[in-house]
Amino acid sequence: MSQRDVLAELRTAQVEAPAQLRARVRLIAAQAPSGTHVTHGSVFRAEAQPAPKAAASAPAPPNGRVVRYGASLRLRVAGVSDAVKRALHVTSALGGYPVSVHVATAPHAGTAQLVLRVPRAHVQEAISRLSALGTIVGEQVDLQDLQAALNATDRTIARLQRQIALLRAQPQTPAVERQIAALTARVAALQRAEAATRRAAHYATVRLALVSGTPAKHTHYVRDALPWLGGFAVAVLLLLAWRLARRLREDALLRNP
Amino acid sequence: MSFAEAAEQHLDDVYGYLAWFTGDRGVAEELTAETFERALRLWHRFDPKRGSVRTWLCQLARTVALDHFRSERRRVRREQLAAATERFDERFADSLSPDLERALRGLSAGEREVVALRVLLDLDAGSAARVLGISPTNCTTRLNRALRKLEEALHVAA
Repeated sequence: MSQRDVLAELRTAQVEAPAQLRARVRLIAAQAPSGTHVTHGSVFRAEAQPAPKAAASAPAPPNGRVVRYGASLRLRVAGVSDAVKRALHVTSALGGYPVSVHVATAPHAGTAQLVLRVPRAHVQEAISRLSALGTIVGEQVDLQDLQAALNATDRTIARLQRQIALLRAQPQTPAVERQIAALTARVAALQRAEAATRRAAHYATVRLALVSGTPAKHTHYVRDALPWLGGFAVAVLLLLAWRLARRLREDALLRNP
Repeated sequence: MSFAEAAEQHLDDVYGYLAWFTGDRGVAEELTAETFERALRLWHRFDPKRGSVRTWLCQLARTVALDHFRSERRRVRREQLAAATERFDERFADSLSPDLERALRGLSAGEREVVALRVLLDLDAGSAARVLGISPTNCTTRLNRALRKLEEALHVAA
């Protein structure tokens, strides 16, 4: 049999998905929202450009769904230290807490980076009050729906629990017991992950960058860029090495029949 | 194209690819469902400019299958059991001769997946290479190597 004959016979092969799988996939597809404006499992991203003086407006998180909410604000302020104090006060007043605060001051300029966690219910008020601390230089809001992922996890847990129930109905051999233990451990892990996701989504993360004074004039562009270029080159090399390692691992994995 | 249309249109392709890649229809069913669940979550990221829906779904299916292979290898190592003992449906397709079935079984998973993409799904070299994350030349070389192995196996069987 020549290669051409092999190819011809292979081309006759038709693999059709079984009916129960088709029904299962239709059920999965039925969860997709209709229309083009997808709110289910989508990421909204909005970036405002410099200098609106009005308070930043954040889109409201959808009610009833679990979402991950993140916002970044860049503000020019009169005094960094004072603005940091006020930002921390606003955060604690709304039931939030600072994750990290980094302040650097110099005689004529200062910068601060704050990462704040604010209860999701108060995030719009927080952004509005924080943006009043100075002039908005930039703003970004990220909103990611986690509900679809949680629903999928719920379905997986239900499927695993059905499998466990079936296995429990069988005669309990050591192999069956091992399978039950493995499935039970997987269910527990999924439940833990789900709880962690819900906990994390309860708070929104607000990144606040504050800067005061006028930016210094850059005259040594090439010299300033060198560390960045070096870093970029190292990052590219690391990426290439990582991809090569991944390829080698995959090849090793797929070498066996 | 809506997600439901894409799922309906390409279900057989994804299932066929996974059935040949894994060599086990039962596993392929689970992985196909998982692929479409993942596809639903990531549907907003699909960009038609970067490739067809079929290529994108095959890329997702490959990731799901590789995750499965990794976890399976860990499980087998842990339990000291041969994965082959759990296979319950050994046929790749009803129309293939037993000799070709056996020859396909003798290929590695990596070789079977390139045959599935290029011959069963009839993807062009560029699309198949994108799914596999390799160059089109490399993809063609792998296909030729796999076909040569099949030819040799059938020659021995004859």
